[in-house]
Order: sequence, then structure tokens, then C-alpha cells
Amino acid sequence: MEFRVKNCVAWAGELTSDADWRGFANGEKMLADVTLAPALKQIPAMQRRRLSPFAKMALHCALEASGDVASSVPSVFSSRHGDLHKTSKLIADVADNAPLSPTQFGLSVHNAVGGQFSIYTKNKAPLTAISAGEDTFLMAIADAVCKLNSNDYGSILVVYTEEVVPLKYEKYIQQRQVSIGIALLLEKAQSSEPSIQLNVAANAVNEYENTTLQALDFLTFYHGSQDQQTISSKRHIWTLSKSQLRS
Amino acid sequence: MTVLSDEVKDLIIETLELEDIEAADIDNEEPLFVDGLGLDSIDALELGIAIKKAFDVKIDNNSEDSKQHFYSVKTLCDFIESSRK
Repeated sequence: MEFRVKNCVAWAGELTSDADWRGFANGEKMLADVTLAPALKQIPAMQRRRLSPFAKMALHCALEASGDVASSVPSVFSSRHGDLHKTSKLIADVADNAPLSPTQFGLSVHNAVGGQFSIYTKNKAPLTAISAGEDTFLMAIADAVCKLNSNDYGSILVVYTEEVVPLKYEKYIQQRQVSIGIALLLEKAQSSEPSIQLNVAANAVNEYENTTLQALDFLTFYHGSQDQQTISSKRHIWTLSKSQLRS
Repeated sequence: MTVLSDEVKDLIIETLELEDIEAADIDNEEPLFVDGLGLDSIDALELGIAIKKAFDVKIDNNSEDSKQHFYSVKTLCDFIESSRK
């Protein structure tokens, strides 16, 4: 499948601008271990008070990447673990027989961040929230490109967010953990513009998950000088390639 | 000893994460919901649980009485005091 990236906004560690991510892609900038959530001062305090660091990263990237079309663009929100800090606290309350916070409960569902985006931007376009293991980020792109083409949308927004998991879940994680938000505004590929090809094949031999988050591999590819990148996961082999303009 | 209305205001601010608001900003007689402080229905549920926990009072969900008890800081204090007797 082929698509064009109109905007790409990512937030992780201290890397927040295109220049930061170009520096990351060519090895000049390192990713810090700690990510501070964006301030999101444009959101009124009464709405902002309910945004977790996870939601703030997602919304910052979604708003910046969607720009002028924020109130009308269809979207795919994605995360492997979701807002797990919130969910695991609720699970602990259930175990303790303590009353659950209605606010936290309402905001712990997988599409909560998408809902908050929709409320803030008054966007009533179709919105889905997906999770697909270590393939979540690239599956979200695949899902979005299919929707873009089959519904003849002008553009579609892909948002992916992940946080370092709570300590008790750490032993299940095989990736180098990073708290990251990334949003892409995708359009259909056109012959007059550079585009990206994404192909996927089954991976029958791989026993282990990729140790890097796919979103980081994508950022390295997108901002770097390589024209092609292969990303292997336990189940899939993904190939990304840049189709250059031929004039 | 703290005045009950101050306790209730602090509880509201802490429970509902009203980071930009101080107890002195909340008027005793002003409506808590929609107009006035601008709280919404999720805040009502959240506050109900917090009040129940902090003051050990029983609150009937969805009853007309509860709506009146949660009208303002003053009505909440009256309700808490009457429940304690």
C-alpha cells in the first residue's frame, strides 16, 4: 500500500520538533529516558485537568499534526498498552474492594483519548481505537490507509501513544521502553508528491519481538536518509520504502 | 477546628483536580454545577463517592433530594451536618 505523509509530529524524551527527530535519525541526538508531558495550555483548565500524561502526549501530537483539519478529519487512535497506569490503579482498587473513581473509569477505556480529541475539536468524523501487540503502530497505519482509500477521504489521522509501563508489568516487556506520542496526517499517494510504500509479509521464523518500538523505527526511516527499511516483528516482516519523484 | 465548608471546598478541589482554583474562590451559595463553578455530571459522581468516604454519609443516587444537597457548598454542608445527627 502507498500513502503520503502530510504531517508527522512526535513527542518523546526531549525530542519534540522535526529538527530534533532529524537529529535522532542521523544519530546526533539521543532519546532521554524520561518524557515530560506537553503542557497543552490551549485546552481550557476544566478540560485539561482530566488529561493524564498519556492523554496529553496523544492530544498534543494529534492537534499539531491535524492542524486545519482537526475538527473534520477521520482518525485511528492506537496504543499497545493504552493508559495502563490508570487501568492498573483501577484494577488495584477492584482488588481492594475500594470504590472506583467514575472519572478514572470513564477515561480508562481504549478510545478515551480519541473521545477527548473529538470533544475538544468538536470532530464528529469516524474514529477507531486499535491495539495490535508490537505491530500496533504499523497496523494503525495499514488500517488508516485502507480507510483512506475505501472511503475516499481527503486525509486521515493516525495517532500512536505508548508509555513506560507500571513496574509490575515490566517483566512482560521485550522492547526498550519509551514514553512516546506520534501522530501522522496521511493522504493518498499522488504522482506529483513523494510517498511511502508499506508492505507486509508473514514472518514464520522469528521467535522474538523487535527490541525497538516500531514508531521509533519509523521516525528513523522517515527523517533519515535511508530509502528503505525493514522492520521485523514476531509475526510480520514490514518493508517501508520512499518512492521518490521521477521527473 | 476547620470550618466544615472549608473542608468541603478542599475536598472538592482535591477530588476534582481543580488545579487553578483555591478554596477562597468558591462561593458558599454559588451553584457547583453548570453555572457557577462549572462542574459536570462526572464530577457529581466523583464528588458523591468522595463525600461518602470523607464524611461517612449515605447518598441516594439520582434522587431529587441528592440533586438539592449537591446544589452548593452550603447545601452540601447542611446535608452532611443533618446526616451526622
